[in-house]
Amino acid sequence: MSSDVRFTDFKSDKQPTWCPGCGDFGTMNGMMKALANTGNDPDNTFVVAGIGCSGKIGTYMHSYALHGVHGRALPVGTGVKMARPDLEVMVAGGDGDGYSIGAGHFVHAVRRNVDMSYVVMDNRIYGLTKGQASPTSRSDFETSTTPEGPKQPPVNPLALALASGASFIAQSFASDALRHEEIVQEAIEHDGFGFVNVFSPCVTFNDVDTYDYFRDSLVDLQEEDHDPNDYEAAKKVILDSEKEYQGVMYQDENSVPYHEQHGVTEDMSDIPDGAPDGAMDLVREFY
Amino acid sequence: MAEDLNWAIGGEAGDGIDSTGKIFAQALSRAGRHVFTSKDFASRIRGGYTAYKIRTSVDQVQSVVDRLDILVALTQRTIDENLDELHDGSAIIYDGERSWEAEIPEEMTAVDVPLKSLAEDAGGAIMRNIVALGAACEITGFDVEYLDEALEKRFGGKGSKIVENNKEAARLGQEYVQENYDLDHLGYDVETTDNDYVLLNGNEAIGMGAIAAGCRFYAGYPITPATSIMEYLTGRIEDYGGHVVQAEDELSAINMALGAARSGARAMTATSGAGIDLMTETFGLVATSETPLVITDVQRSGPSTGMPTKQEQGDLNMALYGGHGEVPRFVVAPTSITECFWKTIEAFNYAEKYQTPVFLVSDLAMSVTEQTFPPEAFDMDDVEIDRGKLVGEDDVDEWLDEQGRFRAHAVTDDGISPRAIPGTTDGAHMSTGLEHDELGRRTEEEDERVQQVDKRNRKVETARNEEDWEYREFGDPDADNLVISWGSNEGALVEALEYLEDDGIDVRVISVPYLFPRPDLSEEIDAADETIVVECNANGQFADVIEHDVLTRVKRINKYTGVRFKADELADAITSKLSEEVPA
Repeated sequence: MSSDVRFTDFKSDKQPTWCPGCGDFGTMNGMMKALANTGNDPDNTFVVAGIGCSGKIGTYMHSYALHGVHGRALPVGTGVKMARPDLEVMVAGGDGDGYSIGAGHFVHAVRRNVDMSYVVMDNRIYGLTKGQASPTSRSDFETSTTPEGPKQPPVNPLALALASGASFIAQSFASDALRHEEIVQEAIEHDGFGFVNVFSPCVTFNDVDTYDYFRDSLVDLQEEDHDPNDYEAAKKVILDSEKEYQGVMYQDENSVPYHEQHGVTEDMSDIPDGAPDGAMDLVREFY
Repeated sequence: MAEDLNWAIGGEAGDGIDSTGKIFAQALSRAGRHVFTSKDFASRIRGGYTAYKIRTSVDQVQSVVDRLDILVALTQRTIDENLDELHDGSAIIYDGERSWEAEIPEEMTAVDVPLKSLAEDAGGAIMRNIVALGAACEITGFDVEYLDEALEKRFGGKGSKIVENNKEAARLGQEYVQENYDLDHLGYDVETTDNDYVLLNGNEAIGMGAIAAGCRFYAGYPITPATSIMEYLTGRIEDYGGHVVQAEDELSAINMALGAARSGARAMTATSGAGIDLMTETFGLVATSETPLVITDVQRSGPSTGMPTKQEQGDLNMALYGGHGEVPRFVVAPTSITECFWKTIEAFNYAEKYQTPVFLVSDLAMSVTEQTFPPEAFDMDDVEIDRGKLVGEDDVDEWLDEQGRFRAHAVTDDGISPRAIPGTTDGAHMSTGLEHDELGRRTEEEDERVQQVDKRNRKVETARNEEDWEYREFGDPDADNLVISWGSNEGALVEALEYLEDDGIDVRVISVPYLFPRPDLSEEIDAADETIVVECNANGQFADVIEHDVLTRVKRINKYTGVRFKADELADAITSKLSEEVPA
């Protein structure tokens, strides 16, 4: 890690193909800045993403990266972190990727408390497939596949994380660049699973959850004297369906990440030239 | 084969059948005898018939046969299920004090031992199976001291009291038979030797091979019959700096393994057919991102949930062709328990050398069968590691483009690109399941698409030329009759040769461990008058492949009852198949 890393070092020379005005631009900029702020560089950073608009992020960033299959980014990140505890692992996803097809993995990555940051670009719609309802769409949100609305309550990802035993839960807004960057940075610095749900408006298909809507309605927990170490206070904020919040809702300061709990410290990529020393003991065990 | 002794214990699942059988198998192995075990079990935790069978000899044994000499029957069903295999000289040990009245054919020797009450005398009813083992030792004249050794190994961790009680239970069983029956060991002479053998099954051999090969990360989801690979690695891989994750599902398992493999670790996942189906999407990603990964399929009866505890070799087509689009992959299938070890090591080497997914295909029969080997059969000094085109700080520059970007998917003559693992300065790059250019970035450009597809396929051509895709051969190399097999059928085939030889039928057996790339068998088939392909499935998937390769019709022997081939049964099947017309 070098101290002279700038956030632009994490930028690739590919121009994003996101729609002009997409919230994902701001989300990604904050991620790159937070990575640079925390002393990481592209050679020690692994970024994983799934499918969808969010999944394109690995192309626009510069680091070691894998763009995988739909919904499975968190298991990939888990494998990277376990094999290489020395790496900074960041996983990017979308609301469909993370809370629909990947919901099972979300619950389990949270409860394992794998030491990585998970940034979800939540635009409350499926963008890349051109505007279908997502798990976080409002129950009356009309789309091509739900002409009268999904008629089911949206997933509350923060509550899902809390119920799964999360050690860090936060929410940010792509357009509030400074706060978003700060919050992602805290997620990276957290020892354990740093979960950030980012309101990342889709300007093409979602005319309800817009920049204006979030600008007008968002309450910043920093201005509310919220104590993220207070579980009950976190619960109250997370289950409050009347308001939208940004900030760190919950952080367990005693969090011990999965690899440390399991005593994994070694770089698993370094293996001997032949069988490991003492391997004949494995055979003798069968006497 | 007069030296053969066939022993079994049967009862209900939950009766401790498996551990009792294992203890006896270990005792025989300690006595320097060869052992081959097989299991009948149902897909339930308690209740239902279950049995553990041992064939033992001073010579190597590698198959089951249709004969049972000593049967410990804890239920009537155990006797009924095995009537076909019992013969006039068989002895049946049972507990006459139990509520059921054993119906034992008159010609057989009924040995009524109060297993439960003798076990209680020794310290607890739970040891009744051990009493039966003591009785079995007396019946066959097998020195009970070897059983003591096995009991020490089994219960040593639980304290000396438990060990002593178990030894006492065995002794009481032995003495009871001595005092109440005059059997003179039924004519058996269970010879012992000074040989030190190890006793292990195919899944243990795969797990051991993985550690030997430097595998450090394993992720899996429990599924019969693959789970015991995960159980073996858990608790051992940590000693070598590795870790096992029990994932939430198979999708997660293969993706975790992919993550570990991309960051430079040797990684593996293992499952059975149904789990492979779930992993198939990621399988394509592993191939297009050119990640070295070993995916083990321990086959069981399908399709769907099929018969989860039964044998089949029905996943060959899935291993060869599974997945959407066209994906180069290697398919390696061990043919014996020692090969489970060595082929696992090869699988890791192929995966890294060619940056491909490697399917390691085993089957249920091999996974649960324990067999004895001299420890040198697993000589760790012979393990070789080939990490392929791994680039480091010194040579990464050779692979940068004019802008200094790493060409992770560089188009090369041999189809193999350089590989930089995270942490390598200037090696940062993305990989993706999208079609990509040399830098790993998405492309739909026609030329680049074709270049990348050709490049990935070229790896297979390189491997065809660079590696020895040989087969294993048994029997008479000049015989007119050729039998071809894959997977665990090899042992039974090798023993079937002896029966066939007795009948004056010469056979050449070819056992193929490489299914893709695979050896070209045209010459061998041309040279033979008759070719028969033996496999545990209904449709003859390997026979289809061979017909496709060689453009000649072959005869087929297929078994899909859920039970592995037996040596004597195979000899009969081959004999009658030889007299059939060749299919048009």
